[in-house]
Amino acid sequence: MNISKPDFLERAQLDHATLEVWIQEEWLIPSGTASEVAFSEMDLARAKLIRDLKNDLGVNDEGVGVILNLLDQMHGLRRALAELLQSARERSAPADDPSSMDQDKSRK
Amino acid sequence: MKDPYEILGVAQTASPEEIRKAYLRLAKKLHPDLNPGSKHSEERFKEVSGAYDLLSDPDKRRRFDGGEIDASGADRPHERFYKDFAADAAAGHPYENRSGYADFAETDDILAELLRRRAREARHARGPDLHYHLSIEFLDAINGATELLTLPKGGTLHVTIPPGIQEGQMLRLRGKGAPSLGEGESGDALVEISINPHRFFSRQGDDIHVDLPITLTEAVLGAQIRAPTPKGPVVLTVPKGSNTGNVLRLKGRGVPRRDGHGDEFVTLRVVLPPGPNPELEAFLSNWTPGTSYDPRRDMQS
Repeated sequence: MNISKPDFLERAQLDHATLEVWIQEEWLIPSGTASEVAFSEMDLARAKLIRDLKNDLGVNDEGVGVILNLLDQMHGLRRALAELLQSARERSAPADDPSSMDQDKSRK
Repeated sequence: MKDPYEILGVAQTASPEEIRKAYLRLAKKLHPDLNPGSKHSEERFKEVSGAYDLLSDPDKRRRFDGGEIDASGADRPHERFYKDFAADAAAGHPYENRSGYADFAETDDILAELLRRRAREARHARGPDLHYHLSIEFLDAINGATELLTLPKGGTLHVTIPPGIQEGQMLRLRGKGAPSLGEGESGDALVEISINPHRFFSRQGDDIHVDLPITLTEAVLGAQIRAPTPKGPVVLTVPKGSNTGNVLRLKGRGVPRRDGHGDEFVTLRVVLPPGPNPELEAFLSNWTPGTSYDPRRDMQS
């Protein structure tokens, strides 16, 4: 579900100029075209995180960039770890996959 | 809920600056986005931010100190943190960053193969199913129909209603759901059916019930009349001496099912002609029905 720019500014409690800086810094990467950007709920949660970092956690602008980069790497690692665990689980029990059986049953 | 002063670890006499400092110190440690794997941090952070919300507002703090409000209700409403999106987002979201383990994946064949396989599976994963809701007319539910479902995101979907469909039944349209994020097949569209009530038919299981008004003459003398069924009117023989409440069965005129059809039950209702009717009045005043005719006999105590 996309959020328009005015809605995004209001829900994230941001002003226009600040948002422009954040997008320029690539802290936020909205989708859409340059004339009409669109934001996701994910972008909104990320904007709130940046606000928390700056307002509550005393992080300055340089620090925000560093933290976001590390956080993105950590989420990449968490995803890789989750994928590895999933692979390992499927290997140890390849025939036992109840979720796909349920699906077949509900299909008519 | 615990005492907010205790949660923040400050004295009751703490100044606003001390309270803010205590909150910031805890928030740095506990912010859920800085501890994405820790449920405990998230719970604690909610407690801490709830306590801070209460104590950082001078008015709320005064009322809490005076015992007017308690600490409950100070919990922040459930918030989705960035980490929740990062965990749920499909592969390829704009903030994805694999540089934290790219070196392992390059040098370790096992890891590289596993990750490649997961990526391939993710690419071939089916798209998600989409849920829709469709209200159809009573007779279409019995006889079957083709409905055009207008999708909220634009576009339409032809939904074939099988005869005899039931309220709440789910129709699965293969491949009409959301497309796969990669190269997999699309998900399915799941259409939940609700059936609008009919003006005079009602349905119980596979049987149809209808109240059918008849004239006094038809009731007393018997008649061949046209009775409505879901498939159109049929000729129904009303036996001589029929009465309100008598039920006639039209076999096989109900809802189609696997082994044939349900039945239609016609409940007769005798309706007198409207307005004053001098001839009928004259006849009835001279008519003696006999002693056995007492319709309220069963109600006497």
